[in-house]
Amino acid sequence: MNCTHWEERIALYAGGDLPAAEAAEVERHLGDCPGCQLFASGLKESLQLLQGIHQEEIAPAHFAAVRARVMAQLEGSLQPWWRKAWVYGLAAAAAAALFLMLVSRPAAPVHPRRMAVQAPVPPPQVEAAPAPVVPRVTRAHHVRRPRVRPPARTARTPGSPSVVKLLTDDPDVVIYWITDNSGE
Amino acid sequence: MKALAFLAAIPIEGPEERAAMPSAQVRDLAAFEALMRRHERLVLVTALRLVGNMADAQDVSQEVFLRLYRNWSKVEEARNLPGWLYRVTVNASHDVLRKRPAADPMEYAAHVPADGLDPQQSTTEAERRRVLEMSLRLLSEKERSALVLRDLEGLSTEEVARVLGSSEATVRSQISKARVKVKGFVERYFRRRT
Repeated sequence: MNCTHWEERIALYAGGDLPAAEAAEVERHLGDCPGCQLFASGLKESLQLLQGIHQEEIAPAHFAAVRARVMAQLEGSLQPWWRKAWVYGLAAAAAAALFLMLVSRPAAPVHPRRMAVQAPVPPPQVEAAPAPVVPRVTRAHHVRRPRVRPPARTARTPGSPSVVKLLTDDPDVVIYWITDNSGE
Repeated sequence: MKALAFLAAIPIEGPEERAAMPSAQVRDLAAFEALMRRHERLVLVTALRLVGNMADAQDVSQEVFLRLYRNWSKVEEARNLPGWLYRVTVNASHDVLRKRPAADPMEYAAHVPADGLDPQQSTTEAERRRVLEMSLRLLSEKERSALVLRDLEGLSTEEVARVLGSSEATVRSQISKARVKVKGFVERYFRRRT
């Protein structure tokens, strides 16, 4: 007998989920159908097995672990403000340190365009060449106003390497640019 | 400390439930801990059946009780603490399951013993638990929830429908399918012939 259409109702019947009228109908069918009887008893047995296992005790330590975790979290969140004061103090100190770091930092990053070209330092190990004579202009009346001096230039002989000192905003960083003008 | 005296004032269940509520004088976490002790089995065991292992079930339980603490006013309105706990436990368990990678079906096959065993003879606790766990794993998320709440936790179909937010007809259909699948697995496991 093909009783597939009874399957759902028998499954509900096995767990006591059918209204009385439908349950009576299923019972009538079970009385006539050994296959469905076996099916129903198998359902009941498997349910009883699962329910028996479900009722088995669980080690109290598992519950205690959950409780401890929950309580620890709640106690942490419920601490009075004065117990958390050190946290605020630490945050304030960190903010102050950050502020000081920002203030003491150079105003702007080092940028090549802002590098000042200074008078080159005398080249190292260059044989002293006779310095060109700069004609001195003498005036009858001494000029009172301050003279604007052109950038000082060191005496340089042809072929001697020239040195350019590049100053950056950072006083600790100085760049020397040495060029060999010997032509070789 | 946050006052938890409100726990005592709210009738959640019957008179015996009310009598067991923490004292109104308790104004610290002891009240909440007492409440937790009374409902921890409901939450942890339900979660264990739904997620299948103790570590995840403990995570779920922790989440449920923290939510209970934070949402007490909503629970108070609902006036049904167990129902609320079941619903939140099911939802939190589903969240855990969705984060978990899909299981390999072959994993289950490896657990099925080669020789036939009678369920009555397989008395070792570990094996019995494994039968329960494996049979529940075969079910879809909704079927598992319906079966756990109805057949293992003993809720009525109406209560299960309320917890799961489904109709009773849907729950009945899920339960019947789940029972048939579980029967098939248990019989295969023990090599019983129908």
